[in-house]
Amino acid sequence: MKVAYYKGCLASLSAKELDTSTQALAPMLGLELDELESVTCCGAGDIHEAEPDYYLHLNARILAYGAATGAETLMTICNVCTLNLRQANFQLLNDSELRARVNTNLATVGVPPYEDDIEVKHLLWLIVEDDGAERLRQVAHKGLKGLKIAPFYGCQILRPSKLLGFEDPDRPWSLEAIIDACGGEAIDYPAKIKCCGFPIIQAREDVAMGELIQPIEQASEAGADAMVTPCPLCHLSLDAWQSKLKATTGRDFKMPILHLSQLVGVAAGLEESELKFKRHVVPVDPMLEKLEV
Amino acid sequence: MDVALKIWRYDPDSGDRELRDYELEAPEWACLLDVLDLIKDQQDGTLAYRKSCRMMICGSCGMRMDGRAVLACKERMLPIVERGHVPVISAMGNMPIVKDLVVDMDPFWNKIRRMKPWLEPGYDEVLERERIVSQQEMNVIQKEALCIMCGCCVSECNSMESDPEFFGPAALAKGFRFVGDTRDQASVERLEDYNDEHGIWDCTRCYFCNERCPKGVDPRDAIAKLGAESVKEGIDRDMGAKHAKWFVKSAETTGWLRETELVPKTQGIVSAVKQTKFAIGLARRGKVPPPVPPHVAADVGEARALHQLVREQGREGALGIVQGERALARIEHTDAGGARRDAPEVTPREEPPKAEG
Repeated sequence: MKVAYYKGCLASLSAKELDTSTQALAPMLGLELDELESVTCCGAGDIHEAEPDYYLHLNARILAYGAATGAETLMTICNVCTLNLRQANFQLLNDSELRARVNTNLATVGVPPYEDDIEVKHLLWLIVEDDGAERLRQVAHKGLKGLKIAPFYGCQILRPSKLLGFEDPDRPWSLEAIIDACGGEAIDYPAKIKCCGFPIIQAREDVAMGELIQPIEQASEAGADAMVTPCPLCHLSLDAWQSKLKATTGRDFKMPILHLSQLVGVAAGLEESELKFKRHVVPVDPMLEKLEV
Repeated sequence: MDVALKIWRYDPDSGDRELRDYELEAPEWACLLDVLDLIKDQQDGTLAYRKSCRMMICGSCGMRMDGRAVLACKERMLPIVERGHVPVISAMGNMPIVKDLVVDMDPFWNKIRRMKPWLEPGYDEVLERERIVSQQEMNVIQKEALCIMCGCCVSECNSMESDPEFFGPAALAKGFRFVGDTRDQASVERLEDYNDEHGIWDCTRCYFCNERCPKGVDPRDAIAKLGAESVKEGIDRDMGAKHAKWFVKSAETTGWLRETELVPKTQGIVSAVKQTKFAIGLARRGKVPPPVPPHVAADVGEARALHQLVREQGREGALGIVQGERALARIEHTDAGGARRDAPEVTPREEPPKAEG
């Protein structure tokens, strides 16, 4: 299936490993990626909060270029991109007056109008929808045997469910289904649906750290060998800020954090050149050594 | 129908907490509140919970079902019974438990009062003629005016768990109800006040409040409206506002986020320098992309021109969010918009996420 691929800011910059692992994994999953070039940041919720009308237009521009590829699906690999784009898309698809005004503005600056509808879907959903777990069993030939993996969803792929709505926001199952199909053991813990604190980690670091410690602590106590997340922002806070947790709480969790496409990539036998674990702050080696091949 | 449920009981005199099982016969039309009434009438008169109107308007019966805050009078039991599910009922979070399902809402009310939830019309004498407010003007605060102050949004607020002094979603939504009211003449003073350390920019955007609100207020959106109004009024001293503005700057200059400059632009140079050691650790792993040469998106001139254009059109501030609500109204309170409850292979935990207040 051809999809318009919107990789977002972090996968272009500090989380390049997310992009390389996604690009390597996609053909194995039957996804043909048409990467969007003439696009910008979705605003990450920040432009929505500072200048919301500009937020809407920036996202409409991304949707317009996505639809112009002829694909029916715009694929995201970040929770925050997913919510921002789906929110804007919902507003445009359900309000013809608003869409007309935005399209006029797009045309004024030389952007093709957003005419053919496109649906925004996260890679996570594309992997598991339509009995995807069964497909994945074929792809994940190397498996994750012997590993206990803690799924961490993050917020903006679950809530608000009226804009996301792929699964039960309180009892999600998609990451568990993927871990299971890859041969690993998914562990359960209450904070897997809570916030990692990233949106305020710079403006309110103490408050954010109070949130961040909960999933890491619970996953650690449940015996997880690693955590997996569909969001590069959750990834960055869980991975990079562990050293700060050590400094402030004295607890060194040494919890490896994997992007979704890296976890599936390990099970599918991708190479380090694609997975790029050396770009992680917390070493992933202990998890890889435990993997039974 | 035969209903089974478990209730977290709490006895303040002994300090005992216990998850107790209940089974009873209830009519098919019963909601959770009806079932609690039957238990209290027929089985255990000591069960404590709050209630009043029984029709989703008084906001008294907020409590948790399987760890999520609900109005007991809004939750129909039949679909739960048909699924063979035994729900766990407990008190709301982020507030101290008084007894069983009753929480102390004093901290909640104190935060609501902190917002000065009354109109400041800017005159003392009553005007000779009434002041007519147009429908269009009322639409701006229509959603926030729906709040029944039940506390469901506060129950699962992730920021408040970490910072109990955070004003929280209910109070801030109440704040916008007045900031957005054209009759109110104190909007700027209010915004100054709500830009407190524990105010607008303390929200972590977990969206639990929007998910839980039984009335469609969408408090997180109200907080974003307050942020947008603050930026519009030039009230941007908070690091949260500076953080948000840097995204706008990034979008119109390079298209993509100028990630490495975000820290000094948010925190200021002095604080950013203190992060040097941390930053070096990240840089070793390629997590601090060099700002030069900048990572520029193709055709970024379009994004810049778009910014100029929308600024000229004057839909700054909260109006940029309000304009999207006409579309969102289509999914409020319909089945299609409701959360899917279809995860058979996941067993709900007996222990609520955080039963202690």
